[in-house]
Amino acid sequence: MGIVFTKMFSTLFGNREARILVLGLDNAGKTTILYRLQMGEVVSTIPTIGFNVETVQYNNIKFQVWDLGGQTSIRPYWRCYFPNTQAIIYVVDSSDTDRLVIAKDEFHAILEEEELRGAVVLIFANKQDLPGALDDAAVTEALELHKIKNRQWAIFKTSAIKGEGLFEGLDWLSNTLKSGGG
Amino acid sequence: MFSLFYGLWKYMFSKTEFHVLILGIDKAGKTTLLEKLKSVYSNLEGLPPDRIVPTVGLNIGRIEVSNTKLVFWDLGGQPGLRSIWEKYYEEAHALIYVIDAASPSRFEDSKSALEKVLRHEDLQGAPLLILANKQDLSDAVSAEEIARYLDLKKLDERVYMFEAVSAYDGMGIKESVEWLVDSMERSKRTEMLRARAGATGPASA
Repeated sequence: MGIVFTKMFSTLFGNREARILVLGLDNAGKTTILYRLQMGEVVSTIPTIGFNVETVQYNNIKFQVWDLGGQTSIRPYWRCYFPNTQAIIYVVDSSDTDRLVIAKDEFHAILEEEELRGAVVLIFANKQDLPGALDDAAVTEALELHKIKNRQWAIFKTSAIKGEGLFEGLDWLSNTLKSGGG
Repeated sequence: MFSLFYGLWKYMFSKTEFHVLILGIDKAGKTTLLEKLKSVYSNLEGLPPDRIVPTVGLNIGRIEVSNTKLVFWDLGGQPGLRSIWEKYYEEAHALIYVIDAASPSRFEDSKSALEKVLRHEDLQGAPLLILANKQDLSDAVSAEEIARYLDLKKLDERVYMFEAVSAYDGMGIKESVEWLVDSMERSKRTEMLRARAGATGPASA
């Protein structure tokens, strides 16, 4: 009986699925974000070799979140996961100012990918809890987000450790995906 | 190879696409306007006003009006985010500036932000549509009053119009879009942008 109601509920209120890729340099906080979203807890992580994939149910959308390892040697394999992606979450360590240029280059390379043309872009300016972390305006500048002119984007200040900003970002994603995307 | 031909085909046969910037300070109603535009002119639903959160980035709306394609760029209006506005000027055909006509305490901020926008040379000659928004609220002032308050100098060389609208209930939206399309089609800036695009080939930004 419960199942019947659940089914009715989800048809009525539009339960949708979306495939989301979480990308970013190594040590940006992708895996911590994934598990914070999924379990609401901070887990201790090790560098991801390969990927983690979890489903996060939020705002009537089932987000299938793929967290891909960020080390230089495995970045070329990101491409294998690009087809059928509705959104990209790009995670930046806002306190790692030395590597922001690399983060920017990788980011714009991703945006060039044909298979990601339709994907909307959400940027997490992560590690806001660390001293010296740049704010959203500064990260916008550093990543040259203004070069994006043909798809929707948004940036949020986040701290995966404290759990701040992550769900605001998901709110934006679910609204954007519902209103037709980029 | 495919993308080369596709690009060429698109370049030769596509309709003109106009880029319209939607600017204004935070809480002016830019995104609500964008969603209204989408729901009036395309078959997309558009987000209901109560679901709209402050924009920190770029929202895009694509609509088609009488054989013309319009792309709207809606940028966040919070003070820290206004620095990126100018990065979008160069490619914009026209500008919509949204003002919350029901909050006089923010007129000054609105005015100085607009003056700064208009001083920028990358926006030279772009038709300007100033919207006295939130006319659904009883204390909203008229478009004439907004015009008087803004008291914009040097507007005479620019094509402009003030319009009273409500992004909430749709008042004045159609008139605004008609004016925009008409002015962009006749503007020198459009010619200039077209010539530049022709010179550099179909750019995919």
